Amino acid sequence: MGAKRRLLALPGVSVILIFAVAPLFIMLYYSFQGDSQGAGLTLENYTRFFEKQFYLSLTWSTIKNSIFVTLVSLAVSYPLAYIMAKKLKGVRNIVLVLIIIPFFTNQLVRVYSWLIFLQDGGILENVLSALGIINGALGLLYTRAAVVIGLVHAFFPYMVITIYLALEKLDNALLEASASLGASKFETFRKITLPLSAPGVAAGLLLVFVPCLGTFVEPRILGGVNGMVIGTVIEDQFFRIYGWNFGAAVAFILLAMVIVSVSAFSRLGRGGSLE
Amino acid sequence: MKTTTRRSLAFVGVMLIFAVLSAGCTGGTGSVPTLNIVNWESYGSDDPAFVAAFESEYGCKIANQYMQSEEDLLTKLRTSKPGEIDLCLPNCTILTAAIEAGLLEEIDVGRLENFGSLFERFKTQKEVMMNGKYYAVPWVWGSTAIAYNTDLISRPPDSMSVLFDEAFAGKIAFRDDYNDAIMAAAIVTGQDPNNPGDLVAIKEALANQKRLNRNYWETGDEFSKLFVGGQLSVAMMWSGQAASMKLEGEPIAFVVPADGAIGWVDNWGIVTGTKNKDLAYAFIDWMISRDFQYNWAANGGPAPVNREAADAVDPDYAAAAAMDEASLNRLFFMEYRSDEVKREWNELWTEVKATN
Repeated sequence: MGAKRRLLALPGVSVILIFAVAPLFIMLYYSFQGDSQGAGLTLENYTRFFEKQFYLSLTWSTIKNSIFVTLVSLAVSYPLAYIMAKKLKGVRNIVLVLIIIPFFTNQLVRVYSWLIFLQDGGILENVLSALGIINGALGLLYTRAAVVIGLVHAFFPYMVITIYLALEKLDNALLEASASLGASKFETFRKITLPLSAPGVAAGLLLVFVPCLGTFVEPRILGGVNGMVIGTVIEDQFFRIYGWNFGAAVAFILLAMVIVSVSAFSRLGRGGSLE
Repeated sequence: MKTTTRRSLAFVGVMLIFAVLSAGCTGGTGSVPTLNIVNWESYGSDDPAFVAAFESEYGCKIANQYMQSEEDLLTKLRTSKPGEIDLCLPNCTILTAAIEAGLLEEIDVGRLENFGSLFERFKTQKEVMMNGKYYAVPWVWGSTAIAYNTDLISRPPDSMSVLFDEAFAGKIAFRDDYNDAIMAAAIVTGQDPNNPGDLVAIKEALANQKRLNRNYWETGDEFSKLFVGGQLSVAMMWSGQAASMKLEGEPIAFVVPADGAIGWVDNWGIVTGTKNKDLAYAFIDWMISRDFQYNWAANGGPAPVNREAADAVDPDYAAAAAMDEASLNRLFFMEYRSDEVKREWNELWTEVKATN
């Protein structure tokens, strides 16, 4: 029976192998190809990346930006997920749908909506000046802040959902027991709620941070002249100059960063349990 | 249990076979031949009036696929099966690569009735030929030069350096394209735009220019959004789009300045392995005919290669859209670039964009 069960996994596994794993190895092969014909395997694409100061500083600024977006997402998502899981009763599903709806729209539509919303003379500027908060142009579009706003909006639902699922499983009896034993609300949160939701937090951090590293659409459209990220380099290589070899090498450097962050976050998630 | 597993496996197998078979059949063995074209979106060959007229005249179907960039077109040609694409529209920067790789068929221009009406410059354009044989036919041309907002600027700028001018800081839009960026900077630094010698000076000029921009733009749509919002005084722009925006009533004017600007030519090529060669010839002949070229040029399209069509366009409009001969003579037409040069230029532009 065990062997037969395993056989049932075969179609799914082979689809993944053929359509996801095999192409990855083809790209890995490309990343070790030189640009001159028939030069054999070479490290020149990787050395070129690490020799150029601007590639490294671009990578670093992309990482910093992704960390910032992840932290802002956490600050938005945790309270929201907590309220949904513990305070709301009937309207919970409606809130969940509201959070998920943006996923049904195309990424470009979402980004262009932000562009229209944030631009000088746009909706946000009009609202803020009507309230007397600002005077004159908003100047928010084509800045780093605009990119962060766009990225947080694009990815925070992942975090809300993972944290919400962790908090929903949390038995209310534990919280009541903690309170009846004289713990303050903050103490209960720190010693019970937070550790038990840590796996959800870790999964959420990962699901926001990783796609942030590779994205290039939001920075390009909302970030103005300084909207370049490491994902843009990969896109340029593939779409503009047929530089598959170098593009593949940069993509694998990015993948290495993703693998490192995955293992870091999963350690964070495992650490979360009641002492 | 066992039989169900087997049956479902057999079912999956049959489905796979069907999938493979049907994928193999898309070559088009139906009764109506299909002309498969790779072109830019909304760029002549997908004009509904043209498609209807051509389809009824030749009893065929036209299927347009769209390219994202010249490199994307090269990739499509390299990875497609013979017969999958019949016609494509490379510009001069990739033509040599496409011809050398054997992706394009030789064209007998004697079979094209309208070839004789082309401007001499386009009849003898070196990029479409190899060893004295034609592999593509020039179709339309245009320039990437300067557009300005007539509400904000009264006198047409007379130099590319206006895009590098502090006086317009925050009201400029440069194009996010390594080729256009480097050619423009080469003009400003007094170098040959097709073979610049001093890339360091170009990098410096572009780095100083960067902070003057409202934003970079890449697609025509991005430019329109910037311009229509009144955010721009001067910008790098394409002649064709500036002309059609003017027709729509925008306060825009276009000029090829005295020190020159960037010129480009789009050419039709017949893809190696096509099964619709006669149709492809008929298509190209239609595309370079006086009537097609005139109608498009006079209605916001790019400049015609057909002299009769160019002569028919209203001279004021031709000057405004920089289709006139004086503008033509000031242009530096983009030439073929080797992969090495492309990589070098692209990396320079990446560095400019990545450095804050």
